[in-house]
Amino acid sequence: MSGGIARGRLAEERKAWRKNHPHGFVAKPETLPDGSVNLMIWHCTIPGKAGTDWEGGYYPLTIHFSEDYPSKPPKCKFPPGFFHPNVYPSGTVCLSILNEDSGWRPAITVKQILVGIQDLLDQPNPADPAQTEGYHMFIQDSLEYRKRVRLQSKQYPPLV
Amino acid sequence: MASEDELMMQDATDDGESFDDDFYSGGDARDDSDDDDVMDYDFIDNDSDDSDTALAHHRSQANYSILNEADIRKCQEESITKISTVLSIPRVAAGILLRHYNWSVSKVNDEWFADEGKVRRIVGLLENPMPLPDEEELTCGICFDAYPRNEISAAACGHPFCLTCWQGYIRTAITDGPGCLMLRCPDPSCSAAIGVDMINKLANDDDKKKYNRYFIRSFVEDNRKTKWCPAPGCDYAVDYIVGSGSYDVTCGCSYSFCWNCTEETHRPVDCGTVSKWILKNSAESENMNWILANSKPCPKCKRPIEKNQGCMHITCTPPCKFEFCWLCLGPWTDHGERTGGFYACNRYEAAKQEGVFDESEKRREMAKNSLERYTHYYERWATNQSSRQKALSDLQQMQTVHLEKLSDKQCQPESQLKFIIEAWLQIVECRRVLKWTYAYGYYLPEREHAKRQFFEYLQGEAESGLERLHQCAEKELQGYLDAEGPSKEFNEFRTKLAGLTSVTRNYFENLVRALENGLADVDAHGAYSRAASSKSVGGGSIKGKGSRGKGTTSRSSSSRNIDDTGHWSCEYCTYANVRSATACQMCQQRR
Repeated sequence: MSGGIARGRLAEERKAWRKNHPHGFVAKPETLPDGSVNLMIWHCTIPGKAGTDWEGGYYPLTIHFSEDYPSKPPKCKFPPGFFHPNVYPSGTVCLSILNEDSGWRPAITVKQILVGIQDLLDQPNPADPAQTEGYHMFIQDSLEYRKRVRLQSKQYPPLV
Repeated sequence: MASEDELMMQDATDDGESFDDDFYSGGDARDDSDDDDVMDYDFIDNDSDDSDTALAHHRSQANYSILNEADIRKCQEESITKISTVLSIPRVAAGILLRHYNWSVSKVNDEWFADEGKVRRIVGLLENPMPLPDEEELTCGICFDAYPRNEISAAACGHPFCLTCWQGYIRTAITDGPGCLMLRCPDPSCSAAIGVDMINKLANDDDKKKYNRYFIRSFVEDNRKTKWCPAPGCDYAVDYIVGSGSYDVTCGCSYSFCWNCTEETHRPVDCGTVSKWILKNSAESENMNWILANSKPCPKCKRPIEKNQGCMHITCTPPCKFEFCWLCLGPWTDHGERTGGFYACNRYEAAKQEGVFDESEKRREMAKNSLERYTHYYERWATNQSSRQKALSDLQQMQTVHLEKLSDKQCQPESQLKFIIEAWLQIVECRRVLKWTYAYGYYLPEREHAKRQFFEYLQGEAESGLERLHQCAEKELQGYLDAEGPSKEFNEFRTKLAGLTSVTRNYFENLVRALENGLADVDAHGAYSRAASSKSVGGGSIKGKGSRGKGTTSRSSSSRNIDDTGHWSCEYCTYANVRSATACQMCQQRR
């Protein structure tokens, strides 16, 4: 609705990110086969926080921006089947700041989103489960849960 | 009809006292005032025909008021002014506060003076506004572009955003609905409220209009004491004094509804029963009952199967294809000669004798009965509903066409014909009451025989009374409409119709009261009423001169104590005697 400021804003986001971004994170717009850049889809990597079971994993996340961005939040997706209580089976992340009816504000940046999701990895929100498997295991069998998380971290090694 | 005419004449010529003796007029303290009203009304009725003013007065209640849009705006402005003055805050802030506390002035006052700081934090009203950062050029927090100071705007918190981004932010919020009234600063860590001043400064005209609409709506919808009139296309709101008795309100559009549940007015039935009834009418429950009564689930896949013909060998439809016996629900492979052949099932007969199938069979049987019972009440409920609709349109026709014609034919000024409109209004109202008595009857427990009997008697009387009035207002009136010129008997007709109207009104008011009362009087006289099984005994005899001394006699004034079946009821003990008896068979009192 906000009259096509999405691309302008994303260009600015891109600039700000190149100038300065948190260590270990990757965020870059999609490059199409013809070499042009699609600002509306970003491929990102979120590193698991050091000192947690998530450490060592570099988790791929795709951010889909709509033309309504930044009035409306973007959609953030891990690969389908990603193991986490607040990630839907489709891979979509369920997080309050990404919900247009509650936490989203247009001034939230890509950096804040990515850091927010990194925090979510190790601090799931049991009040808002998005998948059965991760949720039940988290609630009922924390040993098994942690084992599963550590296993998953091995499945997403650093790219280089 | 003779007795009715007699009755009517009585009403028209007697003074109000006759109403004390009318059927079931109660007689406890609460009713006395009503009887007085009726007396007044009746008196006026005999004196002149401008009785409707008295009637309107009789019906209107001052526990609610109707608000049009201008009134709503005015009330809203008044509330805002109050808060703004008392708390010494800007009107915009007062508006935000009031909306947050559902437009309750007293609640805002209480909360504010209990802990102003907390209220400010919750609602997002900053005590010390922050100016924009002191720089020539500022970066918009949304598009990240740099703008000269004068192209940047901020709420009280000073977070800078460019005009385009503000507009986008506000438009998105307004498009999303009434939540825009609770808008906060776009900065994720900031809770500063965005009030109507920012909207007016930054939104376009369309959005401003929408915002305004939500603001007004909020005053009605979030407010505990106001509600929109539920009639389609009606823009009035009703402001109700909570806790002030009857919930029945009549909107300026003439639609009457219950303020509590916003269904149409439903006295004598309470809101709970109404919602149960409406749910029952719409919900699947009756379908379920039907399925239960007329089908059995396939023993394998559990889908309901209706058996409409053929033998007991049932083959479920694909993909299940299970073959079973309709009677015992066992697999068909177990059946054959030794179980009684293909048209009977010995297993079933044996099991039935042992009582194995009794329960589910009983349930099916009960469901079947309950369905028939429901249909009985629903049909009558719905019929009265459509009669009411018809009466409403007849009333309209009367007002727009017939009244003028009648006035010409009978050489009567229209002001002298209001008794006809009165009669039709009463018919409409009676249809409404009668309709709801069927919901009442449906929920009246089967086992309360005395109450049911009494209720059905009252309902029957109500129906025939209304029929009498309807007949008079429709058929007899037609005669005067079709007449060549003024009829001599028109004045008699007037007296008769007005009398019937008032008698019927009285009867229905008492009926409503009795039902709302849960037919409480029956309890004390349960045994009595069981003995009095014949309709002719009359309600009054059930009620009787109760031990509490509150009962009244039924039709006991000597000139009209003979009912339709020729019984006369004793003035002293209310016993219904055969016509030939000259003294009461019960108490030996002379007639």
